[in-house]
Amino acid sequence: MREEPVILVSEISKSYRKVRALRDLDLTVNCGTSFSLLGPNGAGKTTLMKILLGLVRPDSGKAFLSDHPVSSPLARKGVRFLPESVTFPDWASPAILFKQLERIRGEASREDFDRRCTELDCIHLIDRPVGKMSRGQRQRVALSMVTAGSPSLVFLDEPSSGLDPAGRILVRNLIRRLSTEGSTVMINSHLLGEVERTCDRAAFISEGRLMAEGDIDTLSRQKGLALVSTADPDPMRAALSAMGFSCRPAEKGITADLPDPSHFPALTASVVETGIGFTGVTLLREDLEEVFLRIMGEQHPGDGSFS
Amino acid sequence: MFLNGIEQLLRRKIVLIAGIAALIFLGFYWWGISAASSAFDKGELTSWDEEAQTVVSMLRPADAALAAIITAGPLAATLITALAVVLGSSMLPEEISRGRMPFWLSLPQSRLRVYSMISLAPFAVSLGLALLLFGGILAITRLYFPFTSRNLILAFFSMILWLGVVWSCVTALSIILRKVASMVITFFLAGLASMFGGVYELMMMFPGEAPAALVTVARVTMFVFPADRGFRGVLYGIIPVDAAVTENMAFFGVTAEIPPEHLMYGAVWALLLLWLGYLRFRKMDF
Repeated sequence: MREEPVILVSEISKSYRKVRALRDLDLTVNCGTSFSLLGPNGAGKTTLMKILLGLVRPDSGKAFLSDHPVSSPLARKGVRFLPESVTFPDWASPAILFKQLERIRGEASREDFDRRCTELDCIHLIDRPVGKMSRGQRQRVALSMVTAGSPSLVFLDEPSSGLDPAGRILVRNLIRRLSTEGSTVMINSHLLGEVERTCDRAAFISEGRLMAEGDIDTLSRQKGLALVSTADPDPMRAALSAMGFSCRPAEKGITADLPDPSHFPALTASVVETGIGFTGVTLLREDLEEVFLRIMGEQHPGDGSFS
Repeated sequence: MFLNGIEQLLRRKIVLIAGIAALIFLGFYWWGISAASSAFDKGELTSWDEEAQTVVSMLRPADAALAAIITAGPLAATLITALAVVLGSSMLPEEISRGRMPFWLSLPQSRLRVYSMISLAPFAVSLGLALLLFGGILAITRLYFPFTSRNLILAFFSMILWLGVVWSCVTALSIILRKVASMVITFFLAGLASMFGGVYELMMMFPGEAPAALVTVARVTMFVFPADRGFRGVLYGIIPVDAAVTENMAFFGVTAEIPPEHLMYGAVWALLLLWLGYLRFRKMDF
């Protein structure tokens, strides 16, 4: 990741009649980041993505892609976009669609496309009409078309939509690979588990406002708990409780309350002292779902919808 | 973008049906013209009365060609207009409703390019059909009744103008209104313009004889929807210059001509309508 902004959004606002989709939103995304837009339905995530692609005109504010205003076609050079739902003509095969796409953008070769199709396990579909494919197959093919070559910036709106678990893993690997190859990836997804596994940074948007933004690791708080992984949870729990730790059974061992992280070395020493076999002691942090619920809950205090 | 549009259109059943209909039309036309040619050569018309025989004896092959073209032209024009209206009304709205527009617009190309290239495809297909039909009519007629066309260059440019007016109207309306509404309005305007265009030509043969109100209505129609000027330009361009009827009419000061300013006006009108459609497209959120 380089400290060079590829996406720059400054005080963007957009309304659809009486609905304010975005309110004075600022955002910067650096080159080579895999970035996720998170928020509840109707938060303004897709609107922001569409503004960046020049598909929606903001009411006020400015947005730039690689220093070009988003209204300019130059801003979209090397930029790729996979909308959430796109219907290709039933008669067309991926090979034909890719040829049509390259007539316009001229950024990737057929070899690049074949390579992506192989990565996403859809090379066997390359000459099959889109109308004879399942939704998941169409999604794999569309992802291959969009990401073929070396894009500088990729926007993916719900990329795992319609995919089976195996397909999701392939998409996850693809996003990681794009990031490794130097592409900046912006994802709009509700699958927080997928986002957590693939993205470095995230922005939380609610009611058109930016609620929080940063490294996913930084956004996630410590939970005041430590996980002691052991095959003998009951004796370990009894031993630690006797040493003054409050413990509970957990899936792969036990959890110990640790309100102050500075007590972690003492806990580790106590675990060793018990003489019971263990495989690790880990400070637990919030997962992305918990971060999401916390941040959205702060936005709606007293509202049970995000608790 | 344009080639993609053409590729997509050529897969549509409506285009295939129109192509087959055009070939059937030309087949029937060939059959009819060859039969008429045999009758003309054998002098089978001599069973008519003396007065008719005198008139017929003055006719040349080019006169038979003139009659054939004037009869077949409007029929061919109906088929072409229908195709232009159906394709023109569906191209942009379909790209929008199928969710493909965000995909095209996210590529490094301007909105103007996307709008013009997508909408140009139906125009090109309609022009192709028009060239096939009118080219076929011309070739078949010439095969049996040799003649010299008045001005084929004029015919070609008038054809572009005629289809350009229909296409720009239906394209702009399809962006502003619903697809069906744009089809109905354009087809209605095309029919109205064709009728009053014909009436206007008749009135020009008898200057000062027609009711002033009718002249005004015909002129307003031509002003509002100038497609018929282009269509007349096609007809007047391909009809024989050496027909006795044409020469006799010219003797009385009646010449089949479309003033250049009428054609220019049509061109400006088409561009203006396309621009209005683009202004709407430019402001759309996808």
